[in-house]
Amino acid sequence: MTENSSTKTTTSRRGAIRTLAGAAAGAATMPLWARYTHAQSAEPIRIGFQVHRTGIGAAYGRWYDRTTQAAVELINEGGGINGRPVEIVAEDDGTDPKRGAEVVEKFANQHGCDIGFGTLFSHVVIGSAPRAGELKLPYFVVSEGHHVASGMLNRYTLQPGITDVKSQVQAMAPYVTRNLGKKVTMVFPDFAFGHDHRDFFTEAVKREGGEVLAHIAIPPAETSFTKYFPKIPRETEVLYHVMVGPAVLTFVKELGEFFGPQRPEMFGFIDSLEAVAMDSPGLEYLDGTYFWEGMPRHVQADQSDHDKFYREAVGVDNRGASVSDPTDISTYAHMFGCWETLHVVKEAMETAGYAGPGDRAALVEAVEAMTDMPHSRSHPQGAKVFNGKTHQVFGHQYISRVEDGRLVKVHTTSIEDTFYPDEVDYTKRAL
Amino acid sequence: MRASMMITGLATAVPGAANAHASEQGFVLLLPTDIYITAGVASVALTVVLLAFLPGPTAAALFRALPLWSARRARLRHVSSCASALLVLALVAAGLYGSRDPLVNPLPLTVWTVWWIGLVTLQGLIFDHWRWSNPWTGPGVVLSRITGERAPFHYPRWLGHGPGIAGFMAFAAFLMADPAPTDPARLATVVGGYWLFSLGGLALFGPRWLLRAEALTMLMRAYRRMAVIGRTNGRISAGLPGWQVLAAPPVTPGLALFVLLLLGSGSFDGLNETFWWLGVLGLNPLEFPGRSAVVGPNILGLVAANTALVAVFALSIVAGLRIAGSQLALVPAFALFAPSILPIALGYHIAHYLTAALVEGQYVAAALNDPLNTGADLLGIGHVHVTTGFLNTPGPVRAIWLSQAGAVVIGHIIAILLAHALALRAFGSNLRAVLSQAPLAAFMVAYTFFGLWLLASPRGL
Repeated sequence: MTENSSTKTTTSRRGAIRTLAGAAAGAATMPLWARYTHAQSAEPIRIGFQVHRTGIGAAYGRWYDRTTQAAVELINEGGGINGRPVEIVAEDDGTDPKRGAEVVEKFANQHGCDIGFGTLFSHVVIGSAPRAGELKLPYFVVSEGHHVASGMLNRYTLQPGITDVKSQVQAMAPYVTRNLGKKVTMVFPDFAFGHDHRDFFTEAVKREGGEVLAHIAIPPAETSFTKYFPKIPRETEVLYHVMVGPAVLTFVKELGEFFGPQRPEMFGFIDSLEAVAMDSPGLEYLDGTYFWEGMPRHVQADQSDHDKFYREAVGVDNRGASVSDPTDISTYAHMFGCWETLHVVKEAMETAGYAGPGDRAALVEAVEAMTDMPHSRSHPQGAKVFNGKTHQVFGHQYISRVEDGRLVKVHTTSIEDTFYPDEVDYTKRAL
Repeated sequence: MRASMMITGLATAVPGAANAHASEQGFVLLLPTDIYITAGVASVALTVVLLAFLPGPTAAALFRALPLWSARRARLRHVSSCASALLVLALVAAGLYGSRDPLVNPLPLTVWTVWWIGLVTLQGLIFDHWRWSNPWTGPGVVLSRITGERAPFHYPRWLGHGPGIAGFMAFAAFLMADPAPTDPARLATVVGGYWLFSLGGLALFGPRWLLRAEALTMLMRAYRRMAVIGRTNGRISAGLPGWQVLAAPPVTPGLALFVLLLLGSGSFDGLNETFWWLGVLGLNPLEFPGRSAVVGPNILGLVAANTALVAVFALSIVAGLRIAGSQLALVPAFALFAPSILPIALGYHIAHYLTAALVEGQYVAAALNDPLNTGADLLGIGHVHVTTGFLNTPGPVRAIWLSQAGAVVIGHIIAILLAHALALRAFGSNLRAVLSQAPLAAFMVAYTFFGLWLLASPRGL
């Protein structure tokens, strides 16, 4: 129920009914279950949803939950998976790697889940995935991290619903160098997240014949940035920024005070301002600057029917806000990953004829065998290509320009722009 | 003038701790919090100065209560207490067998949002509901009726309030240092176990157990001294928050220490989220490793914060006694002035949890609307989409921040007034009262700064 769980098939309901409610409440739910009586077994497919309910990931977790509930509702309305209803078993991991591993274990050993799903924050994925591998529980992460494709995880960990940061970052280089400038200065927070951007983008810019003039690493606890700006070389044509955390707005404000109207071109990742309205006071300075978006937050002139359908199902308006509160901006650039992952799970389970935990290995193989995923209701963000060896999906990336507080799409990368050589072949590892 | 600005802020309650997203604090960092902090601290300091010049009894006069009507015996309180106990048991069952999601399961929502945020605040601001809502007195009466026996043991006098103090520290440690205090099953075990344990204590040692060994009753009975409505001389009366501190009998040294721990723990439960504290621990605030990585440090921090607070408070008292040339010993003076800390602790509680109340209150509404997650719409409010949009919008963020700051500042002003009235009562002359509490007043002004700094600091959780 984040959203008061409109889903009609959740453990919470079943558990609560079993424990607390009388026959009347049970009877009231009968028609919902009656839909599945045609199936061989009405026993639900249990999807363990590892959700960041508390801790630093909570804001993302709320929208991941909302998207997940919407996807499950849709899948169930369409007859479930292999004729069985899907049941979400949500467990909070506190955005905590140690608890993440415990949650994975509960999915496998206590809740009888068929798979684990939904983890976003990289350190939680890295903390949880080894346990999923040991337990041979297919573990579908929605994290954007490069850790899956880098080979550091295992055969049972897959990322088929969202692209990874390496492919996102490198796919930006062609547009940036050809349209904004070839002399780039990067400003990033001085920890793993920032270092990924530094490494992947610097390399990609070189390939495009550009040059990164300076790397300006900002200590993560910094809340004022003015003293760093003089380090930006004068000949900088493009400022690439990926600041995150509570001081992002201060960063933008001070950037405006430092440069005024005589600024270089600016390119950033929407991660900095996910869930923040682009027309917020103080963000005017970003007008005319560019952002990577995983999926365009604002409805575009060429909006697809699939995006329209997806927005309606999740309850998001044309500006990326909740339909019930226009100030409640979604994490639109990322949360589609939950929706798409669940549709991948459905397709793979149906291909594998998945009947229960005994078929988990077959499920992993069915996902590994996937390749093209066409732009559709199941994949509203766009067409994708799955790489079974690296367990990572690849897809289009979007670049938007801020125009009067709106994010207007100016470029869609090809899927090929996001490819890089395989770094692992998980299919060679034991199942 | 500045104070009125703070008070205006209070009227527009809006705010988030558990669900704090980076962007909320982002808008706070853009606020002119330096100016607000200066204004808040100045308001408290001004109160101190004013009291030195106003006629002696002014502060006491402010706390005079208005009698409303004669109090009746609370006949139904054992019935309501039994109902409360049944609710606890039902919630424990829900925690064990219901949803695994802490924002759906009614147990964590009830314990952490309804009770710890809502009912503690209600107790401290409005009236003593714990008399009716505690889940032990009713079952205790039922047990003794069934068995036909009174408590077989006397509560050991030498234990004093020790067990209750230890219990409160354990509660604070669970809240601040446990890796998963909202996990429904874990919380169910703790709540169910504690309920049984305390019921056993009550059955064995009688009602004194609740007053000295049961931390939650001690907490509620301490905060009821801050309520606007209370009883005095057989009448229900109302007055400025704090009037009951002056009307009630003095507290024992054990309870005095308990009151200090309320504030010390409440303060740490804010400090532990700041970039500053994460820096002390050597952690990257943008990549917080999770609560299980900071269990030990947070317990140490909790103990250190309380120790430091008690020490500074005691030093202020000693210094005041010296300046005023009083013969009063430290322990009775400590007990005399400790209740003046209550409004500060309550102010912190309200400020710290305002945002969480606004966010998690929505989850509570959703759970009430559809308690069994069947798609019911009992309250007719339709499907609840929980929103945190107000945390990402400058106007509401400012209103929330000023409300929080208002709670902190008003808490300190009331504390200054109370301390002055208590000093006047103990030392007779206004001059001696002012002198005796000068160090304490300085401490409270400094604590105002600390509280407002906490609200303005960037947080990593």
